[in-house]
Amino acid sequence: MKEADYKELKKGGMMRQAEAGLFSVRLHVVGGRLGTRQLEAIREAADRFGRGEVHLTSRQGVEIPNVPQGSLAELKEFLAPSGVGVGVCGPTVRTVTACQGCRVCPSGAIDSPALAAAVDREFYGKPVPHKFKVGISGCVNNCIKAEENDAGIKGWIEPRWSGEDCTECGICEAVCPTKAISRPGKGMQPVIDRELCIGCGDCIVACPAGTLREEVRGFRLFAGGKFGRVPFLGKRILGVLKTEAETVAAVAAVLEFFRLHGKPRERFGDTLKRTGFEALEAHVLGKEARP
Amino acid sequence: MTTPMLDITKDVCPMTFVKVKMGLQKVAPSGKLNVRLKEEALKNVISSLKGEGHRVTNVSREDAVYILEVERGGS
Repeated sequence: MKEADYKELKKGGMMRQAEAGLFSVRLHVVGGRLGTRQLEAIREAADRFGRGEVHLTSRQGVEIPNVPQGSLAELKEFLAPSGVGVGVCGPTVRTVTACQGCRVCPSGAIDSPALAAAVDREFYGKPVPHKFKVGISGCVNNCIKAEENDAGIKGWIEPRWSGEDCTECGICEAVCPTKAISRPGKGMQPVIDRELCIGCGDCIVACPAGTLREEVRGFRLFAGGKFGRVPFLGKRILGVLKTEAETVAAVAAVLEFFRLHGKPRERFGDTLKRTGFEALEAHVLGKEARP
Repeated sequence: MTTPMLDITKDVCPMTFVKVKMGLQKVAPSGKLNVRLKEEALKNVISSLKGEGHRVTNVSREDAVYILEVERGGS
């Protein structure tokens, strides 16, 4: 088999194994969620075409290892009716990871699986200069580790001091984990440092008088993160995005920026080190401004 | 009558929450209870008080210890 053919197979989620003639088949999983019908089909496929086992990947994916080359097409056909697609690899938008989000987790601020499905629908498997990973955490507890992703998203609660009934008790200042709140003096409004604020909402929860309220409950975007040989944590860009649609549009603009400025085999974080994060922000904001 | 004082400075979550709940059960509706607690217990104790319909009517501080004056809500 030619090297070019292996590359094509890899793009379609069929990865050549160490042992010649065998492939590990990556499946399409969104936000780590699979129905029981899909799980049953995967179980059956692993028995029929592999060696009766699956591998759970580090990014909420499932692979069926030890599939002979001659069975690849048949395996794909077998899984399709149960709604299990094969995955992707190579220079594409990869598996979108997500936590359980606000519908399941009491800490969740956003519906992360719904956003994962929207991002997957729009961008999964699309070509980019190098692999591109999207991960979505429902809140700032960050179970999905947003900053490890080329585009990471976190549920975010931004506080606002309403002034009503404030007793100047100082609890907001005491509970803030990053010391983003300071009180300049008696009778004066507390100052919230938006750079230091991590969007946890603890000040709102703890405020005895209900003076601190939610300004925005939305989505915060982090760009350029990666792990691998040289890890780099993604950086926060833009303000808090208010809706799922706005967030999907921002991810689209980020991907467009990567396609315009990224070099083949260059991770997005390295592109951003060359261009600067400001250039990315300007590009995304320019997209927003257009009608 | 002086307001009863509950000290939970030596407790950790969830005992902080349990003791405050039990303390408030001994207080009549609209009656008051003072709670002494450490900074790390503030968020969870206040959020559970608010969630159960009680009110924090005053906050004072003695060095690292906070004293919440809680007014029992509901019935």
